[in-house]
Amino acid sequence: MAERLPPRTGEVIDREEELRFQFDGEDYLAFSGDTIASALAATGVRVFSRSFKYHRPRGLLCCAGHCPNCLVQVGEEPNVRACRRRVEAGMRVEPQNVTPTLKRDWLAPVMRALSPFMSVGFYYKTLYRPSWVWKLGEPLLRAATGLGKVSVPKIPSEGFDKQYLRGDVVVVGAGPAGMSATLSAAGQGASVLLLDENGQLGGHLRTTGDTQQRLPSLLEKVRAAGNIRVFTETTVTGWFDHSWLAAVRGHRLYKIRAGAVVLASGALERPLLFENNDLPGVMLGSAAQRLLRLHSVKPGQRAVVMTANDDGWEVAADLRAAGVEVVAMADERERAASSSARVDALSADVPVFWRHTVAAAHGGSAVQAATIVPLDGDGDTQAPRHRQDCDLLLVSVGWTPNTGLAYQAGVRFGFDEKRAELTARDMPENFAIAGRAAGTHLLEHELAEGALAGRSMAAAAGRGDAPAAAQWTQVQEEKAAEPARSAPWVSVAGAGKRFLCYCEDVTEKDLYTAVAEGYDSIELLKRYSTISMGPCQGKMCSMNAVHLCARANAASVDETGSTKSRPPLQPISLGALAGQNMEPVRVTPVHDWHLERGAKMMVAGLWLRPERYGDPAGEVRAVRERVGVIDVSTLGKYKLTGPSVPDILEKIYINRWRKLAVGRVRYGAMCNTEGIVMDDGVTARVGEQEWYMTTTSGGAGSVNEWMQWWMQSGWGEGVQLLNRTDDFAAVNLAGPQARALLQKLTGLQLGNDQFPYMHARSGAVAGVPCRLLRIGFTGELSYELHCPSSYGRHLWERLLAAGEQFGILPFGVEAQRVLRLEKGHLIIGQDTDALSNPIAAELSWAVKLDKEDFLGQRSLIRVTERGVRQRLVGFTVPGVSVAPEEGLQIVALGSNGKRPEIIGWVSSCRFSPTLNEVIGLCWLPSEIAETDGAEFNIWRDERPLAARVHHGAVYDPEGARLRS
Amino acid sequence: MLILNCPNCGERNVSEFRNGGEYRPRPACPREKDDLQWAEYVYLRSNVSGVQKEWWYHRAGCGLWFLAERHTKTNEITATYRWRPAAASSEEERKADG
Repeated sequence: MAERLPPRTGEVIDREEELRFQFDGEDYLAFSGDTIASALAATGVRVFSRSFKYHRPRGLLCCAGHCPNCLVQVGEEPNVRACRRRVEAGMRVEPQNVTPTLKRDWLAPVMRALSPFMSVGFYYKTLYRPSWVWKLGEPLLRAATGLGKVSVPKIPSEGFDKQYLRGDVVVVGAGPAGMSATLSAAGQGASVLLLDENGQLGGHLRTTGDTQQRLPSLLEKVRAAGNIRVFTETTVTGWFDHSWLAAVRGHRLYKIRAGAVVLASGALERPLLFENNDLPGVMLGSAAQRLLRLHSVKPGQRAVVMTANDDGWEVAADLRAAGVEVVAMADERERAASSSARVDALSADVPVFWRHTVAAAHGGSAVQAATIVPLDGDGDTQAPRHRQDCDLLLVSVGWTPNTGLAYQAGVRFGFDEKRAELTARDMPENFAIAGRAAGTHLLEHELAEGALAGRSMAAAAGRGDAPAAAQWTQVQEEKAAEPARSAPWVSVAGAGKRFLCYCEDVTEKDLYTAVAEGYDSIELLKRYSTISMGPCQGKMCSMNAVHLCARANAASVDETGSTKSRPPLQPISLGALAGQNMEPVRVTPVHDWHLERGAKMMVAGLWLRPERYGDPAGEVRAVRERVGVIDVSTLGKYKLTGPSVPDILEKIYINRWRKLAVGRVRYGAMCNTEGIVMDDGVTARVGEQEWYMTTTSGGAGSVNEWMQWWMQSGWGEGVQLLNRTDDFAAVNLAGPQARALLQKLTGLQLGNDQFPYMHARSGAVAGVPCRLLRIGFTGELSYELHCPSSYGRHLWERLLAAGEQFGILPFGVEAQRVLRLEKGHLIIGQDTDALSNPIAAELSWAVKLDKEDFLGQRSLIRVTERGVRQRLVGFTVPGVSVAPEEGLQIVALGSNGKRPEIIGWVSSCRFSPTLNEVIGLCWLPSEIAETDGAEFNIWRDERPLAARVHHGAVYDPEGARLRS
Repeated sequence: MLILNCPNCGERNVSEFRNGGEYRPRPACPREKDDLQWAEYVYLRSNVSGVQKEWWYHRAGCGLWFLAERHTKTNEITATYRWRPAAASSEEERKADG
């Protein structure tokens, strides 16, 4: 740790605890509290990564977790910012995008040679003709460029979570303005959340000026207040409607509801454009101060400081205090423009170049010299040029307020040309900006503005009174009188690579080329050149890009505008967004029994249902020949009461209900307003004013919402609708022996005369109060038993026990699908889609267009007038035993080698063990569907497969067994 | 995430609700509409840039369908209220009824 300074006040490292870690295959030592970057810098490491496109060496630039230069791979985790991540013992850190090593990257000279041919968007222009060029070029481009490596099998699937937070006032940024806002809001009685992306509170109070003057008392007050919650290492990544903030801390995503927001996120130091401005050793002034003050690391030995404001002079003073030799200062301003108290002392023994700028950095893998040139009025260069040897070139020329979150909250910014600052307007009532994020730089002003913002936002959240408008005016006036921190934007002409965007290696020349090619609006420029689309999300390049674009178009910065800021402001791992894997499932009261019997379960909507217990064909045969039982507790179940139930049923269903007698059951189908089938099921009239409705398992929720909508907007008078889906278990007992079995468990009269087909009864079965519906989806004599959920398993087990002598089998969804297909019954959603009307879907028998009014009626009238082009119809596939897959297309074979034309599709298909034949339902053009026995072709495995239209059920078409 | 003020339950996160689209009263006598008028009701939406009256359903709450007035550009919600029969005979109803 050769570059480590002696212990200093304010450092965040613990020198008592040494940690060993690896970087690029070599061992390094760090102190506890070191970041990966500070530990490496303390050992003299200059090169941290290779750049995205040209594989140029890159070193520390911002040291604030914003720029892409220190992105590293930590174990399996890619794109970790080395300047933010604290070292842990045994950490394995690797550089990214190196071919093959950081020190010797053979792609760097190749890319240097190729770079004249790789201007902005070159692949759009070259790699498209002939078409195979892209196939060849894309893998090469992908291999040569990029960031970290994601190892898919090793992606952690656990350890991510989410937390929901709420605060009257949420303060983003814990610098002086943020802490001041926090204290003032908390003083008004507001609950405050204070979030900061750094490991410690304090912001620039820790890295600039006299750190001990204000910081300790602010920290103590924040700590002492009871209504402040502090979150460090927490990055706010987005503002969403109604002050909903997203923030990330490690593997945790915070979702925060803010009453009001104070944005005190500080300012980002702006890089300067000059030749080789990306060389390791070229660093922002604030980055050097962070290394010095937080981690006691010397950023270099001999420094040139390039500045355009008084902050650069502070940087130079800090360097000298730490024993770094300042070999030259260059300031874009006239000496008279500086009000820094440091000027005299520094000028005494450092050569100072007023009205100069840096035109170039020189060196191989790190900076060795800088060329300093004078500026004329327009920022062009003139002789003489000064070449100054150095190993550190610090840039402090201006600040860009870190206001992405404000953009997202609807704040708009103008540009004050005189002060070269952004000015906010259209501020929402519950949003405030304070401190450097608002262009306020003097500490006393920051504290005053923060306090005002905190109080205002507490008031906006209903805590205390807002400050008088005059106080705001005073703060604004004081701020306006501060010396400017950002010089007018200059860029001296020069050769070589002048990087605008470090993330994606976009140069100044690239940008001018893009504008010349017509991408002259800032949003187009962004998309074409990819500036601001990399890991820094524009934090380093946006402001410079806007200035460049303005200059190229001879427009003002205000006219040029800026690109829209969208969440996330910082890259965020998909794991943090996904959080824990918490997929809810619903299980029936008989679920455990199914598992005990080794049922293969399947997901059906939110439900888990038995797909099969053993061989589905055996289950089918049990139902056809003896008796079977299926758990249908997943059905939607509704109780409707009141005098007007028939009225609403008439409107909701396409068929008639008014005259249904008490004790009868009827099948019904529902349509939406467009006349598309939504759901079906059976409904029983169980009393003069009480009805019991069932829906499909999948449609239970949507039917409820649908009916509630119509009932709550005018059709609800005289009707009560109660969702009983979870209250009742339901089982379907089906097969020729169903009656004999059931009779063993109930005193109800089950004879065909006493309890005929499509009737409903109530009574005890196995001692359990049940509602019995005699219906037949399976095509056999069958009873559907609904009982309170808590009795569900008891009833199920008693039925199976009583059925033992009849050879009963439980059957699953697969067997049920075969059984219903043998009867030609459709399943809504399986055999129909969002374009299926009931007339085309073999339900025209149920459509009663002469009813007074029902949902879908008007649309169906038009359907009948125009006829239907496609119909759902049954089919058989003679001579095969393997059912074609559902979803296969049906084709009309073209003659003379023409491609087959798609004319329909298979919606359901199974092998029927009862008939020993493949059967199914499909959609066909009406003219084919109308003819029983008509032949058509299913397109399977690139070949036609002959199938035949079959009208009616293939099994028991008269329905005699249902009624037996 | 929006906050909706459910007339029954008060302010809740929008994730508890389902949006039911803009408020379009169903014509009282659909059979009397010609194809064009009917298609307009079924398929066309005003898609306003401004305050829109729309349906919301408190799915993970009380089960109320209510109306909200929301600015489609700013997402500001200025009012939420229950449907009332009076609303059905409002100007919009007459307009939708042609």
